[in-house]
Amino acid sequence: MFSQRSIPSIRQTDAVAGIRVLDAAGPAGSYCGKLFADMGADVILVEPPGGHALRREFPFIDDVEDPERSIPFAYYHTSKRGISLELDRSEGQELFRCLARTANLVIETEMPGVMNSRGLSPANLARTAPHLVVTSITPFGQTGPYSRFLGEDLTALAMGGFLYISGYPDMAPTRLHGNQAFLTASMFSAVASMVAVMDAEQSGQGEHIDVSIQEAVAMALENSVPFYDLEGHVRKRTGLTQRYTGAGLFPCSDGYVYVFVGGLAAIRFWDGFVQWMKEERVEGASRLDGPQWHNRAFRDTEQARTIFAEVFAPFALLRKQMDLYLAAQARRIPMSPVSTGEAVANNPQLQARGFFVDVGHPAADRTLRMPGAPYLLSRTPWHIQRPAPRLGEHNEEVFAEIGLSPAELATLQRKKVI
Amino acid sequence: MPNLPLAGIRIADFSWVGAGPITTKFFSDFGADVIRIESGTRMDPVRVTPPFKDGKPGPDRSGYYADRNTNKRSITLNLKNSRGVELARSIISRSDVVVNNFSPGTMDRFGLGYRDVQSFKADIIYLSMSMQGESGPHHQFIGFGLTIGALAGLQYLSGPPDRPPVGSSTNYSDHVPNPCHGAFAVLAALRHRRRTGEGQFIDLAQTEPTMAVLGPALMEYTVNGRVQERQGNDHPRVAPHGVYPCRGEDRWIAIVAMDDLQWASLADALGHSEWLHDERWATSAGRCADRGGVDMALAAETSRRDADETLQLLQRSGVPAGVLRDARDLVERDPQLAHRGHWIRLDHPQMGTTVYNAPPYRFTRLCATPTRHAPLLGEHTNEVLSGLLGLSADEIASLARQGVLK
Repeated sequence: MFSQRSIPSIRQTDAVAGIRVLDAAGPAGSYCGKLFADMGADVILVEPPGGHALRREFPFIDDVEDPERSIPFAYYHTSKRGISLELDRSEGQELFRCLARTANLVIETEMPGVMNSRGLSPANLARTAPHLVVTSITPFGQTGPYSRFLGEDLTALAMGGFLYISGYPDMAPTRLHGNQAFLTASMFSAVASMVAVMDAEQSGQGEHIDVSIQEAVAMALENSVPFYDLEGHVRKRTGLTQRYTGAGLFPCSDGYVYVFVGGLAAIRFWDGFVQWMKEERVEGASRLDGPQWHNRAFRDTEQARTIFAEVFAPFALLRKQMDLYLAAQARRIPMSPVSTGEAVANNPQLQARGFFVDVGHPAADRTLRMPGAPYLLSRTPWHIQRPAPRLGEHNEEVFAEIGLSPAELATLQRKKVI
Repeated sequence: MPNLPLAGIRIADFSWVGAGPITTKFFSDFGADVIRIESGTRMDPVRVTPPFKDGKPGPDRSGYYADRNTNKRSITLNLKNSRGVELARSIISRSDVVVNNFSPGTMDRFGLGYRDVQSFKADIIYLSMSMQGESGPHHQFIGFGLTIGALAGLQYLSGPPDRPPVGSSTNYSDHVPNPCHGAFAVLAALRHRRRTGEGQFIDLAQTEPTMAVLGPALMEYTVNGRVQERQGNDHPRVAPHGVYPCRGEDRWIAIVAMDDLQWASLADALGHSEWLHDERWATSAGRCADRGGVDMALAAETSRRDADETLQLLQRSGVPAGVLRDARDLVERDPQLAHRGHWIRLDHPQMGTTVYNAPPYRFTRLCATPTRHAPLLGEHTNEVLSGLLGLSADEIASLARQGVLK
């Protein structure tokens, strides 16, 4: 399944073949490197000798807490080769500079100034690698009044404005699950990095990309800022209140469904929805009928939301999630089940598309089933090159490529540089 | 001259609503010529979705539309008319990329499907962003950002554990995972074309990138056989890790103490060194075991304090903290976003000067800052038909008379 060759497979069918990435990033940048790696780039994960922070993150494979068994590590570092390197030591810094000369892109997430103090600032690296793109992901950016402020995922969601509009109004706001601030920063970074690398391939000129996690989160606010700017309205969290009349979460007999027949473009599905309710002989279905339902001013009232809920909620409550989903979609009515991880794993659509992939994980001597291709490219398909590396797994291979002898490697190992 | 790295790339953009236009915004802000092919009779619903300038509705007054369509051109074409389709083909033949986010089959019915386009533009890069992808038993299913979040597992996973899954209440998938993945895939395909001359088809199911960013939560089931449940703001091994009230109405601060050192700094900064004498709270494990007690003590203290002052105090002490900014704070009171120049103001013929997001990255050499307001509906119809397709004023007038340009 995986290439056993010492040089990463460069396939004609890899869209980003020939791009080398030094991924020196912590959790805020790991997904950026994964996007390149799973498209065929040679991504070298540069870990401190003590191991990447994700190695300590939950959950663990079979609940065995071990640096080689972290599920987040195994997922976010697929297709990467791994080396360990002490960047706080001059020997480590020199090796990093040598590697950077062979790379197109460096991804790093140190606080501003740290790479500079190591002699590894973008300007420094550019002296011997003028084509190099360096992407720096920090909580607030490289300069400015908050540039020295610390940031974790939760605090970045707060400062970017996303947390304030999430959750129930009668309690503290609650976050999106799963480090989405870090992931958002990673995704935007990947796009900007790819543009800069492609530009550097032609112009020969590198780039320093300064990404702010706070700012990346602010891209996810939907209509929140325009609402304030244009109408003076500050959007707040609304809990389970229907987002628009006919758009919201409803309990069913075995879970929840999310229906969306009001707001945005969805109002064109309203009449089909009412027809469905009538055919099901739902009590009060005709209350949803009439021209007032196509009048935005009426639809925006509390009364409209209440009527919708009074009609639909009792109907939904007696039915199963999947029955509602399939019945609605058969009538081209936008509705989804609120899926658990189990439901996602067993979703027949995803199974038909082969979305989940099985990746061997030698460190745990088992296979890990994980989300696969997020896009299907007809000529340059996404594919996993290899499982996430063990700590230092490719030290010998990678350092040999920049001309280190086995004796030199042994010395570095003794000095705990690698 | 600004250094626009994607100048020279042209996108025939048939997409609408959310994920599609936000994908092509990456390209227009980097200098590509993105031509939105719109319909005046079946309008992009976001054009008529609030907020509107001064609350007055109109197809050229929505801030929701404006923010995601900077630097683009807009033409109106009637794709139900064969001349309209011909014009669309002419635009595509002068383009590098086609983007749409219709249900599978819609573009084929217009005669603009991938196979049709390949016949006259072999090296086209063709991105289709349908709801659940081009294949599979549910490929005709429809939805919106919030139903994607529900189907993908995000809704179930987000919110307090003891209440129904509240989710994000935003169309997160439309704004981040789908456009970022779509743009990344198109860029990769552009690079492949540069090296080989080959175009390709990209099938992006709008449900799948969101699942890709939920990897570990989904793997809790596929690897360990357990459904990942909601955790609110809690972290399995870190406490405090939460959102705490501050002085004023609906003011909050997020505080995280990743380790014992940050916990000690937090206690000292807030003047509660007695917390450090509490044996139960001496270690992360102990604080997690008594999370409720830690949270209550912290909330009692923060609720007497101003949010921004507490932010400064804690950050100076080396404790990760973040004020829960609301929309007004972000635009008017956040000195860091102001320093970064995140909010830019562009003048628009109907909306006047309004606020737009700049992208979240800054370059030393390249440029990606929006400079042109979102286009009025059909603003560039004449310009594109004459400038790009070389039609005369008479030809354009005749097309308009025949209802081809509506």
